[in-house]
Amino acid sequence: MSASATMDVREKGGALAAAAAGRFDLLPVYKPEIERAPREQIEAVQLAKLKETVAYAYERVPYYRTKMDEMGVAPADIQTLADVRRLPFTDKAVLRDTFPFGLFAVPLDEIRELHSSSGTTGKPVVVGYTDDDMAMWSECIARLVQMAGVVPGDVAQMAFGYGMFTGGFGLHYGLQRLGCAMIPAGAGNTERHIQMIEDYGTTVLVATPSYAMHICEVGEKMGYDWEASPLRVGLFGGEPCPPGLKAEIERRMHIVCTDNYGLTEVMGPGVSGECLAERYQQHIAEDHFLWEVIDPETGEPVGEGEMGELVLTPLGKQGIPVLRYRTHDLTAVHTEPCACGRTLARMDKVRSRSDDMLIIRGTNVFPSQVEDVLTGIEEVTPHYHIIVETKDGMDFLIVETELRPEAFSDSFETMDALRRKIAEKLKATLLVAPTVRLVEPGGIERAIGKAKHVDDRRAK
Amino acid sequence: MTVSQISVFANSRPGHLSRVLDRFEEAGVSVRGFSASDTGEYGILRFVVDRPEEALEALREDGCACTVTPVLCLKLVDEPGELARVMGVLARCGINVVYSYSMISTYIVLSTTDPDRARALLASEPVELITQEDIARFSAARQGKGIER
Repeated sequence: MSASATMDVREKGGALAAAAAGRFDLLPVYKPEIERAPREQIEAVQLAKLKETVAYAYERVPYYRTKMDEMGVAPADIQTLADVRRLPFTDKAVLRDTFPFGLFAVPLDEIRELHSSSGTTGKPVVVGYTDDDMAMWSECIARLVQMAGVVPGDVAQMAFGYGMFTGGFGLHYGLQRLGCAMIPAGAGNTERHIQMIEDYGTTVLVATPSYAMHICEVGEKMGYDWEASPLRVGLFGGEPCPPGLKAEIERRMHIVCTDNYGLTEVMGPGVSGECLAERYQQHIAEDHFLWEVIDPETGEPVGEGEMGELVLTPLGKQGIPVLRYRTHDLTAVHTEPCACGRTLARMDKVRSRSDDMLIIRGTNVFPSQVEDVLTGIEEVTPHYHIIVETKDGMDFLIVETELRPEAFSDSFETMDALRRKIAEKLKATLLVAPTVRLVEPGGIERAIGKAKHVDDRRAK
Repeated sequence: MTVSQISVFANSRPGHLSRVLDRFEEAGVSVRGFSASDTGEYGILRFVVDRPEEALEALREDGCACTVTPVLCLKLVDEPGELARVMGVLARCGINVVYSYSMISTYIVLSTTDPDRARALLASEPVELITQEDIARFSAARQGKGIER
């Protein structure tokens, strides 16, 4: 087997082999003139588009005009990128309060598609895309799927639900834009998904990571040979992808998996995507999104590369020109060029939100911390479930984790020692002592949509 | 000679023991002795079977956490003091018995979350329930004496 033959991105394992050898020149880049542009050039594009966007929002959206007038800031005051801080923040409540079309900047006859976010409380948020918005959205997706090694001619199978959720259609359009054949299979019917991969020679699977894991396990049970399968790339989204889970799917399905980031309020998927050089970070489409990282308490910017809340201003978006959208997602952004050759800034993958933090006996606990600890313990799988209960006024944290079959021993003493070890490791990180429950293999539910990891049973 | 015991990890929930037994039945494996013990949350099911390799393979196919442990199986003479005599041999040599269970799998003991309901349900099934008096009677019969009622 010659080294060059295995580095062909069209071959199974080729993209990972090229990345491992540092041969990023072998991996395709969709729009090198911007993805590899010098920082000054990226910032010049951003500034020109920011000025236009602010003027457009001020002229067309009464909410922003009133807000900016109140704050005493005019579109002409935006002279540098730092001037973005003079603009008002937008949070989800504004989009909800103006439901359905209050923030739309164009009449509905210029809107080609509506989507809405899966609002967990109250009304959903509805967004609309013009022709230009659709073109920009599909280009953002085309870029990030190429980052993952997808090439024109690939056959892509959709395992997201379509509907109002932006993930389904977003990836669908972007993959078509790149030149792939789409199979709009949709969510569910796992056996049929596996059959279609085999029948149609599917090379790319779009799924949530937890559903991809489910497809993997069902395939293994059916005796499907993932190593011999045509499937080469997994594109994940819809929920955060734990590194341990991704690595396990790559190993068991013999595919390369990347995930991307986005949210309906600013566009949908495509805001940023993972390249094969920095597997814990994602490149932001900076010519379409101006990012800021702020202290969620004060609203002030944090230092370069420090962790804070991500704030996004879509640049040149016509349907809804959102200014400074507060994502509540915690991340850090890095601007030095990447080994993959891209100069677009990289954000650390979002592992926690400022609002999914659990406060247990006065201590802040993030589900992602639990996941990180469990990923480092070889006797258990990365699947977990957190239960918070109150008993006699005290909060109790219960962590359920799945035993790996090979870690089982015919001794309560050994099993209890494992439980104690997991509890101690969790306590060292969380600073709260949890009760650990061992669950049999496969005993933790694999969610098809967003994996539900937390069950907070405390009275609200 | 040791015997290969099959141990299975199971969460303490209805249906787990029967799921394992169903797999054995499908695989044509016959259970000759078993024990199920728990910690409240999870338990270990232990089986002595006629074909341990097939049993293990069937369970692993199902993704069960299971393992094989060498154990000793003894046939005792049914006389008072016999159990004490055998345990005494091991105790004098400083060998600890971690767990022990009886292998004749046609007389079994069950501890359930709802004993009264479980008894009522089983009473309408073709299975014989043993009473405390029955046990006293077996013992007395073995010693050649009648029991006064």
